[in-house]
Amino acid sequence: MSVRLEGDIVLLEGPCRVEDAEPLLRLLQADRGRTVDLTGAEHLHAAVVQVLMALRPAIRGTAGDAFLRDWIAPALAGENPSESGLQDA
Amino acid sequence: MDDLLQHFIVEAHELIQQATDDLLALERDPKAAAPMDSAFRAVHTLKGSVGLFDFAPMGIALHAAEDLLGALKEKRASIDAHVIDSLLACIDQTERWVAAIEQTGQLPPDSAEEGYRLARSLRSQLDEDPAQAADAVPQADLDWVEPLLAQNRNASNLKARNAPLVAIRYTPRADCFFTGDDPIALLRSVPDLVAIQLSNRDPWPPAAEIDPFSCNMRIEALSGAELDRVKAVFRFVPDQVTLHAIAHTAEGQAPGAVLGGGGAGIAVGATGGAGARTLRVDAARIDRLADLIGEMVIAKNALAHLAEQFDEGLDRKHVAQGLVSSQAAIERLVAELHGAVMDVRMMPMRDIFRRFPRAVREAAGQLSKAIDFSVEGEEVEADKAVVEGLFEPLLHLLRNAVGHGAEPEHLRLEAGKPAKTRIVLRARRDGDRVTVEVEDDGRGIDPATIRRVARERGVASAEALDRMSDAEAIDLIFAPGFSTASEVTGLSGRGVGMDAVRSAVERLGGHASVRSLQGRGTAIRLSLPLTVVMTKVMAVRLGRELYGIPLDGVLETALVPAHRVLPVRDAEAFVLRDRTLPLVRLADLLEMPRPPEPPQSLKVVVMAVGDELVGIAVDGFAERMDVLMRPMGGILAGMPGIMGTTLLGDGSVLMILDIPELIG
Repeated sequence: MSVRLEGDIVLLEGPCRVEDAEPLLRLLQADRGRTVDLTGAEHLHAAVVQVLMALRPAIRGTAGDAFLRDWIAPALAGENPSESGLQDA
Repeated sequence: MDDLLQHFIVEAHELIQQATDDLLALERDPKAAAPMDSAFRAVHTLKGSVGLFDFAPMGIALHAAEDLLGALKEKRASIDAHVIDSLLACIDQTERWVAAIEQTGQLPPDSAEEGYRLARSLRSQLDEDPAQAADAVPQADLDWVEPLLAQNRNASNLKARNAPLVAIRYTPRADCFFTGDDPIALLRSVPDLVAIQLSNRDPWPPAAEIDPFSCNMRIEALSGAELDRVKAVFRFVPDQVTLHAIAHTAEGQAPGAVLGGGGAGIAVGATGGAGARTLRVDAARIDRLADLIGEMVIAKNALAHLAEQFDEGLDRKHVAQGLVSSQAAIERLVAELHGAVMDVRMMPMRDIFRRFPRAVREAAGQLSKAIDFSVEGEEVEADKAVVEGLFEPLLHLLRNAVGHGAEPEHLRLEAGKPAKTRIVLRARRDGDRVTVEVEDDGRGIDPATIRRVARERGVASAEALDRMSDAEAIDLIFAPGFSTASEVTGLSGRGVGMDAVRSAVERLGGHASVRSLQGRGTAIRLSLPLTVVMTKVMAVRLGRELYGIPLDGVLETALVPAHRVLPVRDAEAFVLRDRTLPLVRLADLLEMPRPPEPPQSLKVVVMAVGDELVGIAVDGFAERMDVLMRPMGGILAGMPGIMGTTLLGDGSVLMILDIPELIG
């Protein structure tokens, strides 16, 4: 299982595929205060990344995967909040 | 090399030539519509063909050239020498690339940088109105690059980089997840990432309405890798990605300098004017060959029929008759086939002439001479070997005409001539020869200067020089040792390597001559055989060997009884119909032993050598034949007394003697 809820933390583990996007979205939609932990993630499918971009949960943990750590996590963090329509939600 | 690539190379050569011709025509007449359209088409087609292969730098440069031509065509930019220069530079480079591809199958390693440099230089011509340029990068499309560079945490590293960057804007289709795409996975495989920015294409809907399977991402990234490597990553989603090479300018550096460094600078070899090229042949000529082969098959079948009849014991006379007529038919066909093959080998002067306008333009530019160059008789045809062999000598002559013939403009105006030096390259057919002339209306050659220089350099003795007419003196420019590259500039005539020109032309069976009038101009005339012709030779026997003597020099053969040979001092003579002719023994000429027993009568070939008749004594006469004489090549090329060789029916080689040269 790539998407797992542990208390308030959504853990993304191993290679997260396109089918993981929906469970992740449901978990985050159910409680917008949940934090996503990337420590165990090996890859994030674009669909998963997109959910994180749209809902902007707090992210914690440093991904073990170098590409996620160096590029995707900073890109998620660095996204300009004013560009996303999230505040309206 | 695969067929497609070979086809590309042939086509590219033609398109490059076409584009060059058109650009030069445009330079002469910027308003001409036909060359404009034609140049645009040539570059457009070339760019399209390049796209079939992995030659991205060439594609980038040509794309920029196409855009610039498009802008010129729509009058959005104006044609001046500078624009033509940059377009020609792109075409030149493309030509070098095609030559490299021809040799190695790929572009040289430094091509990426060169491609970007050319593209930038071409696009800079469009700067006046970049937003309107057809395919030029819309500036807005790249607006994101600078902020991304600025905010990137690796920016400090970037400043140190000297490489161009590739800007990637990837907007995956909304349904891309259904087709199995994972844009993040693609991004992961982009080599040498330097920055990434993720954003949404459309505003996100309220959280409850988000469709996780509809892609709403926009990915912008920068890569330090070469464009084609980046392109390869996105090869399956070309419609969703835009890639742009951008010059990454570090502070204080001129854009041009940025791309200068780095890269394994393996220079592309010179394109080599006379490299082996594919021969393009008019289809009608091939059809004629096919027809002749068809007739040949029929003639062969007739022979088979005869052989059958012979087997069946038909009377010999009948068979012999059949054989004779069959032989006659085949002989006629062979002659026609030979003619047809020769036709195939015929090519118009155009194929080399069209390369000269650019060469003359370049030389004129380098030497700051104003030249009005024209070409006549491009359609004159000659054998491929002759036409191609003329390229180097003519290039030489044209450069000389620009360098030494053309005077500075003010001198011309003072002399009442037009400001531009007129140089004409002219070909015409003279019977079975072709004459090619390079004529200028420049300063001409001063015979006095030639005499002085010839004396100084020991080309001829003072007495010989005094005896020479002016024309003979001027002819000395062809003498070996007359001019050297370093000294020639001070000379009022022409110079470098004229002896090389003459010997190249003589190798082709031609000769070179010069006419010059001081103050009026100079014309160098090259006269060449139209084709490699069948030579009629007479075979003669010497001992066991056969030698060929060209029949055109042979007047008759005679049997001379041994006692009729008259010794004249060291030599011999004989009387033929009341004329005393010198007798030369071929064995002596070839420095071979005479037969041990002197024969009762001598077999003598009577030949015209110069104005004189000479008898050549041989051991025997053999048949006359038509042969395709091949000039001696390689280390045998300089062998005196041998005109060439031909292969005999039995596979042996027949040497064809140059008797006048042997007699000396």
